[in-house]
Amino acid sequence: MPTVTIDGQKVRIKKGLTVLDAAKKAGIWIPTLCYHPAVASEASCRLCMVELDRGDWRQLITACNYPVRQDIVVYVSSERAEKARRGVMELLLARAPESRELAALACRMGVEKTHYPSVTESQRNCILCGLCVSVCEQVIGRAAIGFAGRGAERTVAAPFRQASEDCIGCGACAAVCPVGTIKIRLHKDEREIEISPFKSRAKMVLCERCGMPMYSGQVSREAMSKVKIGRKAFTEYLRLCPKCRRTETAERFASVPVRRE
Amino acid sequence: MSEEIELTGQIVKHYGSDKGMLIPMMQDLQAECGYLPIGHLRCLAERLDVPLSRLYSVATFYSSFRLAPKGAHDVTLCMGTVCYLKGSPMILEAISREFNVEAGGTTADRLFSLQAVNCVGACALAPVMVVDGKYYDGVTPQSAIEIIQAFPCEEETAEPSAKEGAK
Repeated sequence: MPTVTIDGQKVRIKKGLTVLDAAKKAGIWIPTLCYHPAVASEASCRLCMVELDRGDWRQLITACNYPVRQDIVVYVSSERAEKARRGVMELLLARAPESRELAALACRMGVEKTHYPSVTESQRNCILCGLCVSVCEQVIGRAAIGFAGRGAERTVAAPFRQASEDCIGCGACAAVCPVGTIKIRLHKDEREIEISPFKSRAKMVLCERCGMPMYSGQVSREAMSKVKIGRKAFTEYLRLCPKCRRTETAERFASVPVRRE
Repeated sequence: MSEEIELTGQIVKHYGSDKGMLIPMMQDLQAECGYLPIGHLRCLAERLDVPLSRLYSVATFYSSFRLAPKGAHDVTLCMGTVCYLKGSPMILEAISREFNVEAGGTTADRLFSLQAVNCVGACALAPVMVVDGKYYDGVTPQSAIEIIQAFPCEEETAEPSAKEGAK
């Protein structure tokens, strides 16, 4: 097992794991945005940059996708690494000035404001990390959204910027969005779930007991198709919202006569 | 619909259904149709088992791919150094405003495609506008609009439906 020396602290990790994994094991925090264990690291946000000791020179690398193959020495809190990360954060802040999540992370990194001008309305609050795109393709298997355009005009969009037919309204993209730009909107009257800003909508399944909209119908169908064992129990599980499920379970227990010796 | 299936089928077959040949396939499709129609792209995505979002990414990444048909007339405005200094940005703005079209776009009635290019090689005539290969020299924002406006009149008699559709 190779040894990674992070800021003087030594940790041994399995070959092939990343510098970020090593730092986590050592209890050293490296800021990340586009990193998510569920998908392959693309290192697109550049926020996890650290310095790698190459002997006579040091190289800036992205911790989230740098595999450890031999003993290495890295610096997380060196001046150059911190400066690089702060510079990236300033650029990201200019892209997503309204994101509370990003502001909190910037604060933790000691970045208060950005010196860069903000971007156009259509790209506002998206840092183009691509996490939503990766999750939709690699985890959900739908690839309903992708990058569109290039250069300064690059955005994340559904094909032809219309509501995508491939979207099942699962909301995974909203769940992973590190800057909170993708949002789930519930239209209770229409019983629909909308993934904003992609405009896609899906009909929701209602709780059989209280009528509360729970999740999109396509998601439940998709989930059912993946369940191999205990289908019946799972169908039962999907019928009710968590609150009603608790109530029903409680009722069932209450109806069981207690045996007294 | 059958035409879409047939054409995409032919193209895909030609490249041996190789997903890696997506770009040449899209180029062939554009050569055939003049642009990349949504229906054809859908067919192509389905046939290759490649997500439609990937095709859209590719189509929007390369500037040579067009997602909307070209206009009946080509308006090219020179934005080269000399034309630029002589006021072509103002002309571009005037045309964009008057016909509600952006550089690289086509008007809603599909009469004009507007392109802003870097130099047409006629600096002595600056600012230059080229409409369907014909060069117009010393253009002003006002005269540019007049030159373009002179064109739709022909179209009205030839294709009255095109104009109605736009309204």
